[in-house]
Amino acid sequence: MPIIDMKKVFLLGHYQEREQIFNLLHNLGIVEMVDVKSSETWDEFQSYLEPGQLPENVSQIDARRSDIRYCLDIFQRHYPIRKSIVEQFTGSSLDLTADQFASYLDSLDQVEEIHKSCCEAEEKLVSIRNEVIQSQNLIEDLQPWSALEIPLELIEDGSYTVMGLYTVNAEQYPALQDTLAANISDYFVEEVFPDQDVVHFFFSGLSEDKPVIDDLFREKTVTRVSFPDLTATPAESIKSLHEKLKILNDQKRAILSEIEALLEHRPMLMACYDYMDNEHAKHQATSNLGCTKSSFLLEGWVPVPVLGDLETAIANRTETAAIVSRDPNPDEDVPVLLHNSGPVEPYEVVTKLFSTPKRNELDPTPFMAPFFFLFFGICLSDAGYGLILTLLAVLISRKLKLEGMGKQLVTLLIYSGVSAFVFGLILGGYFGDLINLPPLWFDPLEEPMVMLIGSLGLGVIHIYFGMALQAYRNIKAGKVLSALYDQGFWFIFLNGLILLLVGFPFAGQWMAIIGAVGLILTQGRAQRSFVLKFLSGLLSLYNITQYLSDVLSYSRLFALGLASIVIGMVINAVGDLVAGSVIGYLILVIILLGGHFFNVIISSLSAYVHTSRLQYLEFFNKFFEGGGRSFQPFRAKNSYTDIVENEEG
Amino acid sequence: MEGIEIALLGAALAVGFAGSGSAIGIGIVGQSAAGLISEDPDKFGQTLLLQALPGTQGIYGLLTGFLIMQNVGVIGDETVTITTSQGYAFLMASLPIAIAGLSSGIYQGRVLSSTINLIAKRPEEMGKGIVYAVMVETYAVFALLATVLILFGIDL
Repeated sequence: MPIIDMKKVFLLGHYQEREQIFNLLHNLGIVEMVDVKSSETWDEFQSYLEPGQLPENVSQIDARRSDIRYCLDIFQRHYPIRKSIVEQFTGSSLDLTADQFASYLDSLDQVEEIHKSCCEAEEKLVSIRNEVIQSQNLIEDLQPWSALEIPLELIEDGSYTVMGLYTVNAEQYPALQDTLAANISDYFVEEVFPDQDVVHFFFSGLSEDKPVIDDLFREKTVTRVSFPDLTATPAESIKSLHEKLKILNDQKRAILSEIEALLEHRPMLMACYDYMDNEHAKHQATSNLGCTKSSFLLEGWVPVPVLGDLETAIANRTETAAIVSRDPNPDEDVPVLLHNSGPVEPYEVVTKLFSTPKRNELDPTPFMAPFFFLFFGICLSDAGYGLILTLLAVLISRKLKLEGMGKQLVTLLIYSGVSAFVFGLILGGYFGDLINLPPLWFDPLEEPMVMLIGSLGLGVIHIYFGMALQAYRNIKAGKVLSALYDQGFWFIFLNGLILLLVGFPFAGQWMAIIGAVGLILTQGRAQRSFVLKFLSGLLSLYNITQYLSDVLSYSRLFALGLASIVIGMVINAVGDLVAGSVIGYLILVIILLGGHFFNVIISSLSAYVHTSRLQYLEFFNKFFEGGGRSFQPFRAKNSYTDIVENEEG
Repeated sequence: MEGIEIALLGAALAVGFAGSGSAIGIGIVGQSAAGLISEDPDKFGQTLLLQALPGTQGIYGLLTGFLIMQNVGVIGDETVTITTSQGYAFLMASLPIAIAGLSSGIYQGRVLSSTINLIAKRPEEMGKGIVYAVMVETYAVFALLATVLILFGIDL
């Protein structure tokens, strides 16, 4: 079975041995913990338990963990570890041997000190940044006044005169001048910086006129500008501010180099973070337990095939822990673990990207895999491209240690390249038309209709297969009649129509009629009244459009297959245009290499997404619902580091 | 216009309109992507992949243009005389991909622009965002199909 059966396990042990057993489970990584409080018998034994409490050191671990995280984030902010394009998809981690990891953990007590230096450095950086922003703003404010040659501290109201720096909207300025002239006898105005929108000006007048001046200014929305802390002319101030910025910049660089000096601890911190994180997870998990003073109870899900491993591992560790297991109840939320063997396994990634199956549902992976293989090949259909795709995927899987879905995806691409290679031989595609070998079967450019009909035919098979799987599900669920009504009649009806289409009028006609009558009679069976039954039965025939559009959708196989070949031909033709001279041949080589590489990537991408789409929308919707929860065992999870085998030599 | 010029108008429309669709679509995605990169530079690879998706319409257009040019003898060694009605047939052939390429490129770009927002929050769900975008591309593929079938159906 592709979906692994799960058993619910109950582990009862001595409280003192709790940590030991937890470490064991954490290392094994085969148990998904369940919160005991969600157990159906919780109410019965709740009263026997000690009130749940986190072990006191959990908050301590958490604090330490976030300290380390803080340092690493600071490092990352100022001296980021760049990821390559490939790593952006796969994630990157630091490879450490178990010994290195352990030796880094020995320096765990240094963390506090490093954290302290990091905090100090960061604090200083923040205050420098604030000062820089302040100075920059001040420079910006001073800039318009730089033509003013009066020291700023002298601009203040005296006993007989008032003076100041002002700005006003440029449109208001002429009017302001007029009103000033009309209302006050003695004053002085100098435009310092006539901007397009705002006029900056110096104004001085007599103290006795101050109330009038204030009123006039308010009326024309004149704003007073002051620089309280500056004591030189604006131009001099700007100069000294620039010098200050330079000093601040030097300070910043000094602090950054302090941080840089701490960088040597980065691998150690990464290792410690992962260690702390896992410790934290272990302690968190204890909150899922039911504990009394001297015992604890753990509940979890374990895949049946590894249940024996768990039992022996526990038995080897301690003699005083009891482990019981039972089959899941029908209404329990059982996690789902897919297990497909051999060549089907990588195709799980396609299913998982759609949805994890429900527990009692069919895993569609093994049924979908052959079609995925086939369709991808048809979409790329070039022997050269297939070869390159496979080689690239092999190279990636060699270079990077991938796990889980990433590994599955790369393996899937290896197979897909093989499929494309085979279809390239069949249809005669070798880097477009670069190598002119006759196709094993036919050339889609010469006989496009053969390929189009072939694609649609494959679609019909694919759809029928999906219907058959739904029929199988119905029969297995004891709903034999549903299988007949919902799939059987459609099957007869559709086949009748196909026979009509390809020229068997007699058989086609009768099959179509039988199918249609069957559908009209049965599809409304959920309705109550007779009229409604009949009407919904009749209406259900409209679903034929759905089947029609599903089948037509497979024409994309043909279109994409053709596209990848013809793009290859375009590249070759462009290369042909420049060939001739020595330089021409050089350019030719560049065009061919770059162009075909580009085409491999872009055509493989479309092949992958369109093939997936055919599975998701045309195939899965016939029989697959999804919506299951995937199995997430309690196990070591590293964010920064990766433990590798000790290197030889 | 002689037959050949009408046919070349078709080639130009296919390349130009489908290419515009791709250019606009890629542009839209690029704007969103650049916004995301300002927050999280490590998503460059993923966003680049998404940005490349609306490029296919332009490729289909180029492919159509190339097939027309080859058929009427602009590229290659054959010299062919094209009658006016054949020329119109080539022009008609170019229309499906020219029209659908333009609109599907733009709308695919919009969907992917939202996908960029999606991966900003949940990078693991990128596959689903791509599936949405592929739904839009379907019609460019169908248009290409119609275009190619018409092209192959023209008697020379």
